[in-house]
Amino acid sequence: MISSDVIRGYIDTMILYLLLKEPSYGYEISKRIRELTDEKYIIKETTLYSAFKRMEINGHIESFSGSETYGKPRTYYKITEAGKMYYKEKCKEWEITKEVIEKFILREWI
Amino acid sequence: MNTIRNYLDNMFLGLPDTEEVIRAKKELLAMMEDKYNELKDSGKAENEAIGIVISEFGNLDELAETLGIKHALENKSDILQVTYEEAKNYIEDKVKTAPKTALGVLLLIMSPVLLLLLLGLKEFTNVNAKEELFIAAGLAVLIAMIAIAVLFFIRFSSKLEKYDYLEETVFELDYKTEQMIRGIMAQDEHSYKSAVSISVAGYILSALPVIITPLIFDIDGLSVISVAVTLTIVAISTYNLISKSAVNAACTVLLQQGEYSVKSKSNKTLQTVTKVYWLVITAIYLAYSFITFNWAISWIIWPVAGVIFAAIQVIAEQRS
Repeated sequence: MISSDVIRGYIDTMILYLLLKEPSYGYEISKRIRELTDEKYIIKETTLYSAFKRMEINGHIESFSGSETYGKPRTYYKITEAGKMYYKEKCKEWEITKEVIEKFILREWI
Repeated sequence: MNTIRNYLDNMFLGLPDTEEVIRAKKELLAMMEDKYNELKDSGKAENEAIGIVISEFGNLDELAETLGIKHALENKSDILQVTYEEAKNYIEDKVKTAPKTALGVLLLIMSPVLLLLLLGLKEFTNVNAKEELFIAAGLAVLIAMIAIAVLFFIRFSSKLEKYDYLEETVFELDYKTEQMIRGIMAQDEHSYKSAVSISVAGYILSALPVIITPLIFDIDGLSVISVAVTLTIVAISTYNLISKSAVNAACTVLLQQGEYSVKSKSNKTLQTVTKVYWLVITAIYLAYSFITFNWAISWIIWPVAGVIFAAIQVIAEQRS
């Protein structure tokens, strides 16, 4: 299990990555996160929803309603230009973060 | 699926029904539903599917800041929540009892009227009827009317007793309930305002008989009778005001405005002073009237006491 403290700063990055290709909705995003991480990280519904709200306020994503195969209206999210910029920043930030932390990891202890 | 819906309802229990909260609940439910359906499709048993969905839901604290319900979550158990039903019942009961309360007040104000009329007429009659007889008859009616009024008050105050906490303690309403009350208050505003105007006009006119009569006629009996006329106008104006302001009064209590504001409620001294004040005024009125039998003048205590009370309220508000 991963500590949620560590991952918190990068939840937005994960969601933005998934939205780069095409707009998506709540459950599909949580499902794809689970699949992509081989079930090592399962996002809680409340975590995902608060991320949506935060990113909407920051202007990184936009919501719109669309309908699914079941026919009921669903809230979809799509990435904005500002969101793409932010995603790029976060990717760069991660590269540095990774490098920094790596300096303190004893390889032979893993 | 019902278990999941109940779980979510429970998590959201007591939270304000703001647009944000309603939207969050809807979307969280949609996500949980999707997850549940897919787990079922993949061959999971009902209980297992529900267990996974609920264990992966998370914690509402995480949403507190985004939804602006941080305050509500923290104070959830501290402040009393008044529900939609309670608020609706309160308004309905207030409206139902208002005409009867108004009638009780009318009886109280009118109670010395017959006594005054008899005392006034006594001056004109040549009949050798004894003064004592006039007074006895008038007093009997006065006491009977007060008794009936008190019976009315006891009956209706016990009916409304269960709502006392609304007037005395600080509480919170959810968004939906508050909107409902504001709507009712706005709808009633026109009829409330015209009732107030009519009654205020009545109160002003009521002063005319006592002022004008002694100026025109120099007859003691007529002056006494003019007080009876004044009291009757005051009584009718008050009846009109109480019976037509029930909706507005109930909404004022529920929205915690004016003397029911959070500030006034926390001022316990003012509450006590209010209760004691009116009891003392009533005692003075009854004692003075019965001892001196000056019913023609003693009623003045009411308008004077009312104005003094308003002054006390203003001073108390500035101090706190």
